Amino acid sequence: MRSRRRWLEWSCRIAAFALLGWLFGESAVPTARRRVESARGSGLAARLAAWTRAPSSVALHAVLDAAPDELVGDWLAALGHAGHSVTWSGAAHPLALSALPAADPRGGVRVNVAAPAGATIVLADAAGPLDSLHVAEFGGTLVTPAAAGAITATLRGAADSLRAGPLEAAALRPVLIVGEAGWEGKFAAAALAERGWSVATEFTVAPKIQIASGAPASLDTARLSAVVVLDSLTASRLGGALVRYARSGGGVVLAGDAARGAAVAPIAPGTLLARSRPSRLPADTIGLGATGFYAVSLGSDGVALERRGTDVAIAARRVGAGRVLEVGYDDTWRWRMTGGVAGEEAHRRWWAHVVGAAAYVPVGRGESSVAGEAPLAALVTRVGPARPAPASVSSWDVDPRVLLMLILVLLSTEWTSRRLRGLK
Amino acid sequence: MTPPARGGEFVFATAQYESGDWDSAPLVPANVIDSIARYTALPVAPVGVVAALADDKMLRYPLLYLTGHLPVRFSSVERENVRRFVDRGGLLFVDDHNHDVDGVFHKTATDEIGRAVAPLAELPNDHPLYSSFFKFDGPPTTSHELNGWGDNLVHKHLLAVQRGGRIAVLYSSKDYSSEWNYHPDSKRFLSVDNTRFAVNIVVYALTA
Repeated sequence: MRSRRRWLEWSCRIAAFALLGWLFGESAVPTARRRVESARGSGLAARLAAWTRAPSSVALHAVLDAAPDELVGDWLAALGHAGHSVTWSGAAHPLALSALPAADPRGGVRVNVAAPAGATIVLADAAGPLDSLHVAEFGGTLVTPAAAGAITATLRGAADSLRAGPLEAAALRPVLIVGEAGWEGKFAAAALAERGWSVATEFTVAPKIQIASGAPASLDTARLSAVVVLDSLTASRLGGALVRYARSGGGVVLAGDAARGAAVAPIAPGTLLARSRPSRLPADTIGLGATGFYAVSLGSDGVALERRGTDVAIAARRVGAGRVLEVGYDDTWRWRMTGGVAGEEAHRRWWAHVVGAAAYVPVGRGESSVAGEAPLAALVTRVGPARPAPASVSSWDVDPRVLLMLILVLLSTEWTSRRLRGLK
Repeated sequence: MTPPARGGEFVFATAQYESGDWDSAPLVPANVIDSIARYTALPVAPVGVVAALADDKMLRYPLLYLTGHLPVRFSSVERENVRRFVDRGGLLFVDDHNHDVDGVFHKTATDEIGRAVAPLAELPNDHPLYSSFFKFDGPPTTSHELNGWGDNLVHKHLLAVQRGGRIAVLYSSKDYSSEWNYHPDSKRFLSVDNTRFAVNIVVYALTA
């Protein structure tokens, strides 16, 4: 009998100290999150307020069927910073949208969308739908003459929707055309001037004799939106200045054999192959490339913008903050002069597109933000990549006050038993 | 017709029209080509071509030289082609081989230009044409007008039709066709090369 009471006392003592030890250990080294809260799709936004009030020990998991909007992304990131374990999973599509002022004196907005291959994107502004794009590879581009308010892109058949812009229209700077005097430079300048560009020219007519018109003293993004170089001799002469100009954000168009200049090799999108020549010229009208062109062998980071058959006729590359285009054509002027009824306008539009694709456009302030333009990328940056929900750890979720009471009861029982036995 | 030359090569083209004597100054092309090669680094085709105004291929030569003594009457096709040529940015240089403002060439050619393009107007003597390569105070005189031939006038200005600030049609009553119509080798007998103004016209056409 006595032995039993002693066993009881020892048991109470051991249990009390064990509970005390567990409480100390729990406060010093918290155990893994015990509870996981999850919300899905449209219910996510409604749960955010409740999640904010939950103890930081509660793990939060979002199941997304579309990239979250900016508010939800910001909120999830904030909960992570507040100490919650925040994870997400789901089938949000990797979309990105940018709406930038087009590099065109006539204005317009260039809308670039990145989306999975095969997707159909519907573009709209505040006034209604603009157009739709079917994505062949990585995305698509649309130039719209005007846009009212922000541009939105919606993935057809999915809940994903993006919003971008509007950005303030930029003040374009002049385009400089530089090279050997000839019809190509003259008519390129005419086409761009007719399109509304302010054009400066510097044409070489003899050694050390250049005929200049409005040409700036130096290649500088503060003075020029783009530089068109017509031949390799001029490219070699400008060399380092062109490279610096491109790296600082300027647009460079290397036309004809300009990319052959060794000094511009570091910025050229590729190397020029031999110029093709047709055995016979067309009998009547002459279109772009009908008299042959220089094919471009793409460099490692060059991108083909135009192909003729299997040959690349126009290639592009990013260099620092700028863009460089390599154009294999050296007599587009024939297109304008002899290119049929629409040749002149086609030549004008083509040159505007070429220069517009490379030109530096200072962008004004606007509502645009990366989170709105590429929400999935922003979510990955701020919350992390998609992960499955953490396993819920089942454990006693007991109030510490209850444990303290239990300890007191155990110790009291042990003390009472001892006193009843006559011990102190 | 000779096919177009390489991309950047300048080809001197003489306009052929159905009325009149379009080939009255056959040595001018060679002489002008010689001057271009002599004074500039422009790639130039060694021989000129003849471009028929009635043929669309005339549009392959954005600088056309037209001269003659006889009446100029464009056919409807020629007139339309000249209009297209000018609209697209070509420069038509017309020189009166008679050096006579009362002559038939002047009267008919200026009339045709007015019908096909626009009426001619005096070109200021400080126009960039006169400083595009060599510096001139105005159109250089010719021995023919100084000797009192033709209309016995020294013409102070050239005439022109301008489009968007550039010369679309340049008209001369100074008879450069006679002045430049000699074999290029004979330049060595001149103290001042009288074809230098032709270089200005070509450089202006290529750069303006």
